[in-house]
Amino acid sequence: MLKDVTFGQYYPGNSLLHRTDPRIKMLILIEYLVLVLVANSEIAALLSLAFTVFLIAVSGVRFGILIKSVKPLIFVLAFTAIINLFFTVGEGEPLLNWGFITIYANGVRNAIMMLLRLLSLVLGTSVLISFTTSPLELTDAIEALLSPLKKIKVPVHEFAMMMSIALRFIPTLIEETNKIISAQKARCADFESGNLLKRIKALIPILIPLFVSAVRRAEELADAMECRCYNGGEGRTKLKVMKSRPADYAFLLAVTVLTVAVFFLNNISVSEIINLCKAIF
Amino acid sequence: MSFIEARGVEFSYSPDEEKVIKNIDLKIEKGSYVAILGHNGCGKSTLAKLLCGILTPTEGQILIDGADTADEEKSFEIRKKCGMVFQNPDNQLVASVVEEDVAFAPENLGLPRDEIRKRVDMALATVDMTEYKEHATYKLSGGQKQRIAIAGMLAMSPECIIFDEATAMLDPTGRKEIVAAMKRLNSEIGITVVTITHYMNEAVEADRIIVMNKGEIIADGTPKEIFSEVEKLQSVSLAVPQVAELMYLLEQDGHPLPRGVLHAMEAADLLEAYIKGAKND
Repeated sequence: MLKDVTFGQYYPGNSLLHRTDPRIKMLILIEYLVLVLVANSEIAALLSLAFTVFLIAVSGVRFGILIKSVKPLIFVLAFTAIINLFFTVGEGEPLLNWGFITIYANGVRNAIMMLLRLLSLVLGTSVLISFTTSPLELTDAIEALLSPLKKIKVPVHEFAMMMSIALRFIPTLIEETNKIISAQKARCADFESGNLLKRIKALIPILIPLFVSAVRRAEELADAMECRCYNGGEGRTKLKVMKSRPADYAFLLAVTVLTVAVFFLNNISVSEIINLCKAIF
Repeated sequence: MSFIEARGVEFSYSPDEEKVIKNIDLKIEKGSYVAILGHNGCGKSTLAKLLCGILTPTEGQILIDGADTADEEKSFEIRKKCGMVFQNPDNQLVASVVEEDVAFAPENLGLPRDEIRKRVDMALATVDMTEYKEHATYKLSGGQKQRIAIAGMLAMSPECIIFDEATAMLDPTGRKEIVAAMKRLNSEIGITVVTITHYMNEAVEADRIIVMNKGEIIADGTPKEIFSEVEKLQSVSLAVPQVAELMYLLEQDGHPLPRGVLHAMEAADLLEAYIKGAKND
């Protein structure tokens, strides 16, 4: 039932994105989201698309993996594109007027833009964070970036610790769930037939033992952590210290410039740029 | 002064429940290798938790290197000196990567980075897991996980490690690995080892065996002494090692053979001599 759940999506490697400081990557991610969502004019959209392609290219992630990550979203993508295509009411003559279906040029444009934007979001964030950052780097980066909040007593360290423990226990709990499912099947439990309500009810004998054992595990883990002198975040040192190199800052700066450029280009149409070029040369 | 000293210790999980531990006086010397044997539910795991300060006695006191486990201010010192390896290997690993997990205790102690690195490498070498240092913890076998748990304790450089049925969930190969590691820690590094178990073959390896029944110590002595008293062990539903049982049965049959023989070769030699002697008569 849970066979195809893979642990995390991290693909170890040594690409430019793998080597970038995870804290910087988190900041770049924020800028990237702004950039993709804001880009509205053709030229800005083209720029954001080019940047996404660049990210994918430098991540060194195999093409097959990218396709696999988009696959579950095909329905959503198609749905958004179709909605935009049919329901955008544009100016001027419709391209097609066939019974109740009317398609305007604007609709085609919106559909393509929306499709590209969603694709960029999915692929860009995946290659930037999930595919190239190990879960531990990720929690460390979040802890580091949120550390200013410690001053106002937000338990940042505890939050990061919880996250990394949760990640650590995913494979353990999946294994356990599979065992419980097998055990219940051996006792003639039926998970596959009946209506929705019946099938949801059939999950109860899986969930209850799972919760009980998770609580027991948590208790034991707490003892084990205490035995290893865990005392909260105060006075704690780290084996691995994150280091940002000049190249990381350069990368961040470049993306910042790009984001600002997108804001500017948003207000300029293609014809204006062509005019500008003509004026210059 | 003994390293661990229990004085009139009693313990119950709640005031209206029966006492799990009754009136225990116990001294464990530094550098010794002690096995605590007992039937299920005899309170041996509770005793283990009391001995390393996770639980505090309801009556009496436990001193670890002179520090009372009930003294909150000294709990950090006690934790540092006395580590514990638990039964379930999955519930005591904190991080997803082997070396990160081993580094957990020294990180908590706030040691400088170089020192952490040194201790992690040393600990992994001691349990013979150096080549796995960058592996994911969830992919290891039970015995390997337990060795990582031991390394995690070693990195704290404790003076004593308590093994709370650390081999109970392992296959025979894993069990052998862990027993070998315990012996090595005790003889080569001089760590005090207290192992709680119900496997006789493990107890044989210790210098001293303490037998518990219903929360009380009923026998305390060297393996030879303990396994000579076959009737006493059987009365509390504990089996003796096969060799000792064979010698005991032969003796019951009227053959004048010594008791408390623990190793197969030793028994074979004795039997050979006895048979030859009988023929000559």
